[in-house]
Amino acid sequence: MSSKILSLIGGDADVGTSRIFWVGFVIVVILFALYPTQASEFRASNVAYYLLNIPLGLGMALLWGYCGVLSFGHVAYFGIAGYAYGIIAGNMAGNSFGPIAGVLGGLLASALVAGIFAYFVFYARVREWIIPILTLVLTLLLETFLGQTAGYQWRVGSVLLGGYNGMTGIPSFQIGSFVFMGYSFYYFCMVIVLVCYVSLRMLVNSNFGQVVFAIQQDPLRTETFGYDIRARQWLVFVLSAILASVSGLLYVQWGNYITPSQVGLLSAALPVIWASVGGRTSLLAVVIATIVLNWVTFTLSAQGNQYAMVIIGSALVITMLFFPRGIVIMAAEWIGRFTNRPTKSTGG
Amino acid sequence: MNGKFALEARNVSKHFGGVIAASEVNLQVSPGELRCIIGPNGAGKSTLFALLCGIQRAESGDIFIHEHNVTQMQPFKRIRLGVGLTFQTTRAFQDLSVRRNLAIPNPNLAVYKEGHQRGAKRLQIALEGFGLDPSDDTRAGELPHHKLQWLAISMVLAGYPDTVLIDEPTAGMSRDETDRTTEVLKQLNAHGLTIVVVEHDMHFVKSVAEKVTVLHQGRIFMEGNVAEVTANEDVKKIYLGHAH
Repeated sequence: MSSKILSLIGGDADVGTSRIFWVGFVIVVILFALYPTQASEFRASNVAYYLLNIPLGLGMALLWGYCGVLSFGHVAYFGIAGYAYGIIAGNMAGNSFGPIAGVLGGLLASALVAGIFAYFVFYARVREWIIPILTLVLTLLLETFLGQTAGYQWRVGSVLLGGYNGMTGIPSFQIGSFVFMGYSFYYFCMVIVLVCYVSLRMLVNSNFGQVVFAIQQDPLRTETFGYDIRARQWLVFVLSAILASVSGLLYVQWGNYITPSQVGLLSAALPVIWASVGGRTSLLAVVIATIVLNWVTFTLSAQGNQYAMVIIGSALVITMLFFPRGIVIMAAEWIGRFTNRPTKSTGG
Repeated sequence: MNGKFALEARNVSKHFGGVIAASEVNLQVSPGELRCIIGPNGAGKSTLFALLCGIQRAESGDIFIHEHNVTQMQPFKRIRLGVGLTFQTTRAFQDLSVRRNLAIPNPNLAVYKEGHQRGAKRLQIALEGFGLDPSDDTRAGELPHHKLQWLAISMVLAGYPDTVLIDEPTAGMSRDETDRTTEVLKQLNAHGLTIVVVEHDMHFVKSVAEKVTVLHQGRIFMEGNVAEVTANEDVKKIYLGHAH
């Protein structure tokens, strides 16, 4: 049983299968674990922000890179979960079970919307190039709706939606009387990211994951092996929406606020950029790109630099022109050639 | 194998705009048969395969697989009734290894899997006949054309079907490769596999077929054994050319 699990985690559906890789992986995890001992709570909180975006990026890699379905509006599920958490936990303020109920409600609301949306998309066999447009429309509709919710009449229970000013005062996550803030929230994010990454590595290396990758390669061919590709695409879409929700939940617990801009056009483009720049057919590549690009954006924005998005956009253009399969993936291949080690860098 | 016919099309029609792809097509393929379908380009051969597998929906008529009316059935459900299909263009998963390609149709692939002895035996015949190693980690995209075509056929057999539709298996192959393909298909047929092949290569057709169906302009023009078909003057006119 344990050898089966290890073979699923270490399978070749993602970059990094060698012993050296895993030693390096463990070292990096230890360094991340030690970081708060050397950094201020403020800096640890900033790194927690980079980490909390990773599930969203991983969801994009799973859906786009491994399943071949591009969603340009996955931040809708980020936002739905965030707002749902804010409403539920906010209305249960003072009750220690409130944040847990908020998490469950956020995940459920997001999965429900994603499930209904994906059902109509995949079971109607909507053409692949229309899906990014539909997903973008959904998130822009959500942004438009949330943007006009300013005013006292737009409240759910005691929680105001807040229009473009957003929802504020969202409770942090807590279990019992222990509230996750500062350093503890950093570790909370780290554990969740690790669980998401390892679980997804197992998924993409499983039989299910291989069929999903076959769908990315050739949907019709896969269907003519007897697979109901609609059901698998639906499931992957919902799974990736849940991953986006995890990021949304962590985001509102981190900043204690959320605004409609989190589901706007700019936010919608970011996970697509992370996946493109890193290399969408590798989970690890997307993890690295998410951390680095969020660090760049966050650092430049914090310094008052107006060009953060110009630089991120330029990274996308450069990647598309010179590293079409992603910078991290092509770097891994280059290292593989340099060390004469054959490097498999995609879902197969 | 159940029923009188492994595959049957009754009065099946399909148009693409003004183009007749299939018109009142009636086709019956018996279990264990090796049938070749020939016809000039645009005769509707590949469309007929697409209609049988549900990739295209028939505008009228009915399609049966082992006596089950599958006319309204999704492609994947038809495949689950024991049908396999290869395409005119070779469609293996280019970024996956040979091993992974063979595992997609059958994740629990085992050459002598209990309960699937016939299917497993046929797969073994194909793999050995084509010289393919089911544990090969070579990327399918790196295989030469003929091996890729053989892999595509083997992938279909990995799903242990009892009936396969093979679209132009020898396209782009040398004479030796064609002969090897012919030999393997004949062996598979001898092991009970029902095979329907669309093919242009008359050398191949003459080598394998018991019965030949000629399609022309979406209609069944003629059916008979190879000698009858190749001797028919009208068939020569529409397809073979007088030189043959």
